[in-house]
Amino acid sequence: MPRTKLTLGFADQLTEVDIDVPAGEPRPWDADSRLAVVGTEVARIDGEQKVTGRATYTFDVALPGMLYAAVLRCPLACARITKLSVDGAEKAPGVRAVMTLAEVGDRLLFAGQDIAAVAALRPELARDALAAIAIEYEALPFVVDARMAAEPGAPAVHDGAVKQRKTEGDEPGASGSAKAQGNVRALPDSRRGDAALALTKAAVVHEASYSTQVQTHSALETHGIVVRWDAEDKLTAWCSTQGIFSVRDELAEVFELSPANVEVITEYLGGGFGAKFGASAPGTRLGFIAATLARTAALPVKLMCDRHEEHVCTGNRPDSHQDVRLGADASGKLVALHVRSIGTAGIGTGAGIGRNAFSVYTKIPHVLVESADVFTNAGPGTAMRAPGHPQGAFALELAIDELARKAKIDALQVRIDHDEHPVRRWQFEQGATRFGWAQARARSAAARAKGTRMRTGVGVAASIWGDFGRPGVTVTATIGRDGSVQIRNGVQDIGTGIGTVMAQVAAEVLGLEPGSIDVEIGRASYGPSVGSGGSTTTASVTPAVRNAAEQCRTQLTEVAADQLGVATSAVFWGPGGSVSGGGKTLTFAQLCKKMPGEAIVGTGTRAKTFGAHPMAFSGQPMQQIAGVQFAQVTIDTWTGTVRVDRVLAMHDCGRVMNALTCRSQINGGIILGTSYALLEERVLDRDFGRMLNPNLENYKIAGALDIPTIDVVMTDVHAGNNSTGAIGIGEPATVPTAAAIACAVHDAIGVPVRSLPITPAKILAALGLVPGATGGSVRAGGPT
Amino acid sequence: MTSPTLTRRGLLRGAGTASVLASCAKPTHDDASTAPAITDATAPAEIGPEAAALRFTLNGKAATLQVEPRVTLLDALRIDAGVTGPKLVCDRGACGACTVLVDGRPRNACMMLAHDVAGANVTTVEGLGQDGGMSALQAAFVRHDALQCGFCTSGMLTSCAALLQRVGAAAPQLTAARVNEAIAGNLCRCGTYPHVVAAVLEVAGAKAPAGASSAGNPRGVG
Repeated sequence: MPRTKLTLGFADQLTEVDIDVPAGEPRPWDADSRLAVVGTEVARIDGEQKVTGRATYTFDVALPGMLYAAVLRCPLACARITKLSVDGAEKAPGVRAVMTLAEVGDRLLFAGQDIAAVAALRPELARDALAAIAIEYEALPFVVDARMAAEPGAPAVHDGAVKQRKTEGDEPGASGSAKAQGNVRALPDSRRGDAALALTKAAVVHEASYSTQVQTHSALETHGIVVRWDAEDKLTAWCSTQGIFSVRDELAEVFELSPANVEVITEYLGGGFGAKFGASAPGTRLGFIAATLARTAALPVKLMCDRHEEHVCTGNRPDSHQDVRLGADASGKLVALHVRSIGTAGIGTGAGIGRNAFSVYTKIPHVLVESADVFTNAGPGTAMRAPGHPQGAFALELAIDELARKAKIDALQVRIDHDEHPVRRWQFEQGATRFGWAQARARSAAARAKGTRMRTGVGVAASIWGDFGRPGVTVTATIGRDGSVQIRNGVQDIGTGIGTVMAQVAAEVLGLEPGSIDVEIGRASYGPSVGSGGSTTTASVTPAVRNAAEQCRTQLTEVAADQLGVATSAVFWGPGGSVSGGGKTLTFAQLCKKMPGEAIVGTGTRAKTFGAHPMAFSGQPMQQIAGVQFAQVTIDTWTGTVRVDRVLAMHDCGRVMNALTCRSQINGGIILGTSYALLEERVLDRDFGRMLNPNLENYKIAGALDIPTIDVVMTDVHAGNNSTGAIGIGEPATVPTAAAIACAVHDAIGVPVRSLPITPAKILAALGLVPGATGGSVRAGGPT
Repeated sequence: MTSPTLTRRGLLRGAGTASVLASCAKPTHDDASTAPAITDATAPAEIGPEAAALRFTLNGKAATLQVEPRVTLLDALRIDAGVTGPKLVCDRGACGACTVLVDGRPRNACMMLAHDVAGANVTTVEGLGQDGGMSALQAAFVRHDALQCGFCTSGMLTSCAALLQRVGAAAPQLTAARVNEAIAGNLCRCGTYPHVVAAVLEVAGAKAPAGASSAGNPRGVG
């Protein structure tokens, strides 16, 4: 491995670092690289398709003879099937295939579970046919509340052991299982020092309970798949997925097909946010159903979830109930942190609370984080944009603010003092100035003292994520004799604009305009790639694009050397892909005409991550991605309404690939976080175990009138991590938002609201204006 | 509280109070009182339950579809006419992804029955462009990255096009607040709202407020 000296770091903290760069890799772009296309604002290359309605999403796929499927779902939270007959459905008008997914005697675990499915000529005929299925149930005891389910004697959700479902949306490395008792299944602890002992010696201890709600992904395009059998052992699936290869592998496994005989196409994808991996959704076997019905009917079948199904059986962000103890010594130094959390991912697993408590304020010497999954009779949770982290950040950051108030220490300074990450410390300091932190804090204190009706408050919180970009990507670059450049890879675009970034990287290497690059993505047959989860796509795909394009450039340089009559080292690449040497110049078109064959092909792969400057992620060989967000809220203390006025987002963006689409992603993280902080909540009826708001008028997601003014500062951080220096930003941008908003609410009204979402009812309860608790005991649906 | 613009409301009887109560029109400050009722001149007095002919103008061209009376305008557009720009997201008028223009007014196509547009002019996102190219508004959406996954974009654009049409010559006076109000019924999960506002204000020739876009912000590069 050649050692390469790179200029790494950020802002004015740049330094020369020796990095082991694997053989065959180009010299990585570093802080000294002056790039013409990468990092600029480039409008997305498929923008016109999207704004003209021509983009074809899975939902838009229409094939000759295609049938529409619908699924009969369990209406009860827990039930045994006592009678089931699909005869009526088979005879219903327009029906071409019927299948059962459960049988008499089966115990169904949540309202929404698959029972039977039909395929018919039109969607309304399929729904009509479901009504003709005769089914009877015996209702069984159930539990849908995490804390009730954790009690001894609660109805057992599962009969036997539970297999943990992992997807590419889950944070790499964050997994494992421990002992289970009743419905409670412990997750591995994170521990340093002796938190319990240190808390007994602390001068000031803050102890409180914090809770967060279940959030559903609510991607606008629901989960769905279209399956067409091309032969007995060969099929094509159009799937609304963020993991094309996970869909291919699941279908190949279930139907015992060669993966090469399973083509998966995701030309356009209407959002995912972590829930769209595999041919099945977490709580419904969509791919199996569509493919089975298609095989039976010998016609293509389309199966799209409706909004109700999307809410109840395609995944969610689990809730959390966190008991936090935080201690400081007499000088205001934080000495110990203990977090105990339970949460429910319904019948599934994954209710952890992320890395925040353990890995952000690492100068706290004694930390213990314990968490557990609690099974309930509800649809399974799954990875959702930064799994666990917004939950963990909320409790941690609000607890720090509460302790700071009690100990009379500065809420911003205490963060800087306990954070070892140089980028985050810089972001805290720079951000405070840009945001007007000190002045704003003084204003809110004055308004609190005066007891004004309208209160403004500000808060700040930290983001942590890892550079999880990884190998496993193969990109093919093809330059034709006609001068055309094609970049091909099987990655899907979840909406971040990865295709545009791929064009930019190739254009940068070849000196061309990004618009002249033909990018082909969204098909399994286009070559191995990653799922769009864990904020890995850009960091995994762009290095392979660069490497493929560099190979083509090397080959073209040899062609140029021949034509110009000079050594390859004397060939200079100029603007527009032109080459010169020996006093002569060839345009890119002239050069391509001279290539020996029809085309020059470069195949680029993604090497293992080779650098993690300036700070690694919890002892792993990858960069820790830093970020901080400042939020300002205004609260009407008479009505309890909260408005987020503005958010300043300072984010480590690695080497920014596209400043325009990067800003879009950061805006999106903040808007999702604002929505989580104030509006969203899955409400399950405890008496019937059904979701009461499985729609978009009672399950509120933020609209244009609900969002803050957003100020984004992208911090270019050169880590020497891969050949382009790209990292991911999708998840880091949503980690701290709700926490910063909760801290701002605390600053505004002087009392904390320890339960998300922060509703007017909870504000008024916190102010003592209506009865109700403000801590973790506030339950879904409002104050108790 | 049933919408006065629904002429075939008898078809909704028994469909559930909730769906009848939900308004089909997207209320805005501009068009509530002046809107013409949708007339049903070409439809027979009684139709259904089997498919019946529906004649209307779709993106400037005469269209005839055979649809059952229970079929929504959205399904008729998407399944029968093959016009898939408008999307089904919430299926109950809460998200605006299916927004189309019916005689110039933005409407939720999921909340109308197909036969309600008999004789009317229906414009989808596919009909917003000019001469096969993008309209100025569509081009501004691309330039400002007012879309991410793009699934809300058709409805978002249609609402914004209707806004620009409503304000006409007063477009330069448009404010971010007015644009936000016009798209309040268009939900976006990726978080494109700030860039949508920037795109609309640019096309309107109006001043973008501070913070509508952070282009030009420092990048923290040494």
